[in-house]
Amino acid sequence: MADPSPGRTVLEQPPSMPALFAKAVLTARGRGGELPGTRLARTGVTVDPANLAGYARVCRFPLADALPATYPHVLAFPLQIALMSDRAFPLALPGLVHVRNRIDVLRPIATTETLDLEVWAERFARHRSGATVDLCASVRSAGAEVWRSRSTYLARGARAPEGAPESDVTVAVGDLDRAVATWRVPADAGRRYAAVSGDVNPIHLSGLAAKAFGFKRAIAHGMWVKARVLAALENRLPEFSTVDVAFRKPLFLPSTVTLSTAQAGGGWDAAVRNARSGTEHLVAAIRPR
Amino acid sequence: MADSTRRRAAIVGGNRIPFARSNSAYAQASNQDMLTATLDGLVARFGLQGESVGEVVAGAVLKHARDFNLTREAVLGSRLAPTTPAYDVQQACGTGLEAAVLVANKIALGQIESGIAGGVDTTSDAPLAVGDDLRRTLISLNNARTVGDRLKALARIRPGQLVPEIPRNAEPRTGLAMGDHAAITAAEWEIGREEQDELAARSHQRMAAAYDRGFFDDLVTPFLGLARDNNLRPDSSVEKLAKLKPVFGTGEGATMTAGNSTPLTDGASAVLLASDEWARAKGLPVLAHLVDAQTAAVDYVHGGEGLLMAPVYAVPVMLARNGLTLQDFDFYEIHEAFASTVLATMKAWEDEAFCKEKLGLDAPLGAIDRAKLNVNGSSLAAGHPFAATGGRIVASLAKMLHEAGPGKRGLISVCAAGGQGVVAILES
Repeated sequence: MADPSPGRTVLEQPPSMPALFAKAVLTARGRGGELPGTRLARTGVTVDPANLAGYARVCRFPLADALPATYPHVLAFPLQIALMSDRAFPLALPGLVHVRNRIDVLRPIATTETLDLEVWAERFARHRSGATVDLCASVRSAGAEVWRSRSTYLARGARAPEGAPESDVTVAVGDLDRAVATWRVPADAGRRYAAVSGDVNPIHLSGLAAKAFGFKRAIAHGMWVKARVLAALENRLPEFSTVDVAFRKPLFLPSTVTLSTAQAGGGWDAAVRNARSGTEHLVAAIRPR
Repeated sequence: MADSTRRRAAIVGGNRIPFARSNSAYAQASNQDMLTATLDGLVARFGLQGESVGEVVAGAVLKHARDFNLTREAVLGSRLAPTTPAYDVQQACGTGLEAAVLVANKIALGQIESGIAGGVDTTSDAPLAVGDDLRRTLISLNNARTVGDRLKALARIRPGQLVPEIPRNAEPRTGLAMGDHAAITAAEWEIGREEQDELAARSHQRMAAAYDRGFFDDLVTPFLGLARDNNLRPDSSVEKLAKLKPVFGTGEGATMTAGNSTPLTDGASAVLLASDEWARAKGLPVLAHLVDAQTAAVDYVHGGEGLLMAPVYAVPVMLARNGLTLQDFDFYEIHEAFASTVLATMKAWEDEAFCKEKLGLDAPLGAIDRAKLNVNGSSLAAGHPFAATGGRIVASLAKMLHEAGPGKRGLISVCAAGGQGVVAILES
């Protein structure tokens, strides 16, 4: 469909994720150059109640009238994968590591709202072990932006273009020395989240597939861990908030992890760590807007 | 006489989500989801964010084993302060009203200053249990210490045992569905098809009218896209209801249809109760007071009494204690489990022999003015998520009494499975 703004493509249907992942693997080699100016969009998107209910169950959110803060990511993510798997994208999708995700909830979104989504890539940046790129998403309802996110991906060994800025992947949190909950994360946690989010990246689905991409075991989706942190704090969160998380070390499946929380800045700091080794998987700073 | 010197619990207001027929709008919602949403709606309505109330008391009739602490879990997921205590109750369809009585009693005794009573039920997300044989096998499997013991336990599993037990709306001791029991009572009291259909149609029409004039605006909060009870048929009529085939009872005398019986329903309700002082300090209204309550039970198994007739016995006890007659009320809320139940209840109170022999009264309680009965519709229209019905009725009646002005009196009668009944008096 033609669109007045240059570089903007409106998709009629959500793209097929398994096909995109396959394409991304097959076209991984020989990538480089600058970020494309492409913007992918979908308009008139409504939430499928059955999918939302499944998502809520897997992430432990209550089924309520407002969308979980992380749910619009599920709507926008296929567009981001479409953008990254396209040959014009300079980094190979296999091997990209999600290192930071910041969500701004500009207002609660009702489950019945009709949404317009747009995604793009920006901030190709230098990182001490490679390069990072931000995949951005904006969600609008009746013309007004209600939600936006910025996912930072690290490509180890990749090089950012000449004159690129320094990457910023730190999320500052205070002392989190009190574990408030223990979660047993089962071996099929990746498959369960894949089924409701469509994120069928093989590194989350089975140990064998993960090994093929250099991980010793399957790893949990970072956005699932983030969602579970939010679900654990759900009713204590400000309605208008910024939820900034840094994904530290991979959470291998299965694992037993702890959640630590502390009030901070009118919101919450949180950390998810391995229950035995203390390895930090995620830190989160949730602040009112 | 009831002790008139003790303080009475005030009903400040209520909130419920619209009720939804089984496997419709709330098919994916759990009891905890619905109860939490209902509490949050109440919290928003009365500005209780981050605050603690004395106690939250609620329950569900159909409950998963994991929901052993359902109400407390819902409180922890709500906007109430996490320091709010809570506990679960279960008295079948009497759960919601019993919860209100328990909260009111603690307020009356000065043990708490405020409290929330509620109830929730889902017949969509119902708990399935493994059959008893398989359950025993699984327990011995879990207890087995050696591989041999485990294999022995596993070898006892038969394919037929793998069919789960689905909860049924039936009495464990009689094996009869509640509707079958009600049909026996309807036949005994010679309750006709037409009067049942009239009562059902009136329930729909009155509730639709109440919605239209905004009566439920401050009693109901939309949930998951539903703004009104989806069982409600504003255009219901005796003519339409007359076309339905009977589903309970047998032969010529079968009068009970899907139209004059309540459907399986999902939903939740909550009521805020308090001392007058607490309400005043918060700047909140007092709609009515809970004056008194009574429960009763009947021997429906071997004693020949109808399963849903217990309220008939509870009411005269409560009336005598309060020096009231059955006619001393401005509103009557008789839960419409089945249209025939409401009609049999009233007929029993009018029956001289029954009142004398069964209730031990010198004279029948007499007739009640039908114009004062379920004036804004009841369960036949709204549907009946078992434990949520009491809260729906208490909040609605309190509002009706408040609108009618001070000194008005209302009677609530709720029948329940197991041959029990809960009744109460509210006064503005």
